[in-house]
Amino acid sequence: MDLPLFCAGFAALSVALYVLLDGFDLGVGALLLLQPHEKSRDHMVDSITPTWDGNETWLIMTGVTLLAAFPVAYGILMPALYIPIIVMLLALGLRGVTFEFRGQMRPYRRRWDVIFAIGSIVAACMQGLILGALIEGISIDGVTFSGSVFDCFHPFPLLCALCVLEGYVVLGGCWLQFKTSALLHRFSVRTLRIALPLFLLTFFVVGGVALLVQPGIRAAWQIHPLLLGTVDCTLLIAAFILFNSIGKRPDVRPLAAGMVMIASGIAGIAILVFPMVVPFRVSIWNASSSRLSQIFLLTGAIVVTPVVLGYSFFAYWVFRGKTPEKGWDG
Amino acid sequence: MSLNPATLARVQFAFTVSFHIIFPTMSIGLAMFLAVIEGLWLKTKDVLYLQIYRFWLSIFAMGFGVGVVTGIVLSFEFGLGFSRFAQLAGPAIGPLIALEVLTSFFLEAGFLGIMLFGMHRVGPKLHYCATCMVALGTLLSASWILSANSWMQTPDGVAVRNDRLVVVSWWHVLNNPSWLVRLPHMLSAAYLTASFLVAGVGAWYLLRGKHLAFAKKSVALGTAFGTVLIAGQVFIGDILYGTMLKHQPSKMQAAEGFWEKESASPAPYYWVILPDQKGQRNRFALGIPHLGSIWLTHSLHGRVEGLKNTPPDRQPIMGMVFYGFRIMYGIAILMFAAATSSLWLRWKHRLYTTTWFLRFLIAMTPSGIIATLGGWYLAETGRQPWVIFGLLRTIDAVSPVPAQTLLATLIAFVCIYAFFMVAFLFFVARIIRRGPDLALAQADASGSLKNAFRPHVLDSANANAVAGR
Repeated sequence: MDLPLFCAGFAALSVALYVLLDGFDLGVGALLLLQPHEKSRDHMVDSITPTWDGNETWLIMTGVTLLAAFPVAYGILMPALYIPIIVMLLALGLRGVTFEFRGQMRPYRRRWDVIFAIGSIVAACMQGLILGALIEGISIDGVTFSGSVFDCFHPFPLLCALCVLEGYVVLGGCWLQFKTSALLHRFSVRTLRIALPLFLLTFFVVGGVALLVQPGIRAAWQIHPLLLGTVDCTLLIAAFILFNSIGKRPDVRPLAAGMVMIASGIAGIAILVFPMVVPFRVSIWNASSSRLSQIFLLTGAIVVTPVVLGYSFFAYWVFRGKTPEKGWDG
Repeated sequence: MSLNPATLARVQFAFTVSFHIIFPTMSIGLAMFLAVIEGLWLKTKDVLYLQIYRFWLSIFAMGFGVGVVTGIVLSFEFGLGFSRFAQLAGPAIGPLIALEVLTSFFLEAGFLGIMLFGMHRVGPKLHYCATCMVALGTLLSASWILSANSWMQTPDGVAVRNDRLVVVSWWHVLNNPSWLVRLPHMLSAAYLTASFLVAGVGAWYLLRGKHLAFAKKSVALGTAFGTVLIAGQVFIGDILYGTMLKHQPSKMQAAEGFWEKESASPAPYYWVILPDQKGQRNRFALGIPHLGSIWLTHSLHGRVEGLKNTPPDRQPIMGMVFYGFRIMYGIAILMFAAATSSLWLRWKHRLYTTTWFLRFLIAMTPSGIIATLGGWYLAETGRQPWVIFGLLRTIDAVSPVPAQTLLATLIAFVCIYAFFMVAFLFFVARIIRRGPDLALAQADASGSLKNAFRPHVLDSANANAVAGR
């Protein structure tokens, strides 16, 4: 059995769940900056408060899966992406404590909200920067990172940072439309009408530039033209459905379409870099951990993941429907 | 001092992990405490338990939040600062930590939302289940991470082939020689931490003559749990001492402050030393005569092994190990004193009225946290110069990241974590000053418990105004 392949599958699942779930959390956070009314900001934060922690846990799952299954890649990537990862972690930290702290302090809530929004924006941008740096390619020597820690601040990764931020804002807008009504509902409609076209534009510019900066991407298009074409079409169809369902019932349709759109994007990236774990440098088989380690990890993953998905769904189910205007305590 | 990447990476890891451990220690302890309290509430329907629950829940929530965000950092930091360590140890500790995320982080995260905001959505019984799940999550988390850390202390079940580590027996990696001794030691430490937190806050209210019913219950529960736990902890600590003496003699040699291969007979028990690592001697040492022989060798004239039994290039730095141990051990003695006094005063029915004892309890409020930090300094600095004992030196594990970058991120960590700590302490102090009535009033006013029982004496309009939501 091809264990590294299954481990890579699990890592991909973790990344995808992280982006789809924490994506809307970060998007909602970023949108706080555009929302002038404190009541509405409270409402926006309330809509993600009960479930954000679980969403963010998929990020840890991704990192730790790399450590367990592909330690060689983990040891190359962490130093290479040192700056964006640390900035992302600090931004997520500031944003995470704000959930608790902003509720404790009414007079300064506005300042906490600014911290919350900036934390969300910075975290999203750093994730984009990481993606861009990975696609552009990391300098390695054997199993050690040999480039400069500032390599990731090239123009292409910066463009990716913008793209990921816009994607998360789209997801955040979809989430708000799903979970809120009245004023905020209109706010989310306005947001989506602007953010979605911007995201699509940036996404295709990124796609084009990627062909120029990374020969591996050109090669992948030549190997899987049909597959990648299908993924791109799915993305466009989902974007079209999303655009047409903005502000219309059922409220869940934009969120569903947005998730399909972003998921197709992730699938596209996965096809482009497969089977590399350090893209275009080290394959999943060369970076693999020992066989027993992967068996242990996969056994745990196969047994426990369904349970995790089950009670995570239960947590969403408990807080289903529109977020109450007075907050969850009210 | 020139900038040395290895030193900076170590300082950064030490700082972030020391800061982090404060919060899980509280969370593990408080989660179990909350589960016990909510169980008592469901059983007795006594509103006092609900008041205690709500009060500590708000503090628990904040501590848990800080613990989560500082914990995420660690799961990446293995590679950020020590990429060679991650590449070598990944096959052994990676799956352990992955299972920690799967079985515990998700469990905590999934049920924490329900625990904090879901009372009137799921009802008291299911809510109690959520509390228990969170407590179970913290316990599982401690088990996995202690297994991973114990493997670094006493590695087992692996072989090195072509510069890569291969797991040969999972059972031996997981159940390495020190895991099942260190785990109960850490869990008791966390439960002791919570006990002294609860007792300290109760004592503070008693001395001020406020919230008396709540305060008495807190002191009674805190000292009762504390007494049972410290008795057990002394016992577990002694077993752990023997385990570490067998597997990491260098650590225990450094911990006792002796240099010569064999100490004088009878050996003193040192409390203050000024070690000279280069000269392999103490510049100054102050201790209690005879006690070293009695405590460490369980005989009147036994000799204690010194650090010269370990070659200098394999020695940890004695000062850090020694003082880490003395801080932990000194606080354990104080806890023991608090426990015995509480038993005596309880028997004399003076537990709530003895001023010196209440002052002592207030001073002991953060004792569990400080002792835990001391213990971890003993464990981690005592393992040096190894990162995986006997397998990989810390100096060889460092990432290829320039010193300036490490310094910049270290400064960023210090600033942001200081901000976290100030905010956390500020809010906890405010919750304590406001008192437990508000915690319950909030619950009442919000209607969370309308169906559980009718509100009682509280001025909920006023409470609403202060609560602000």
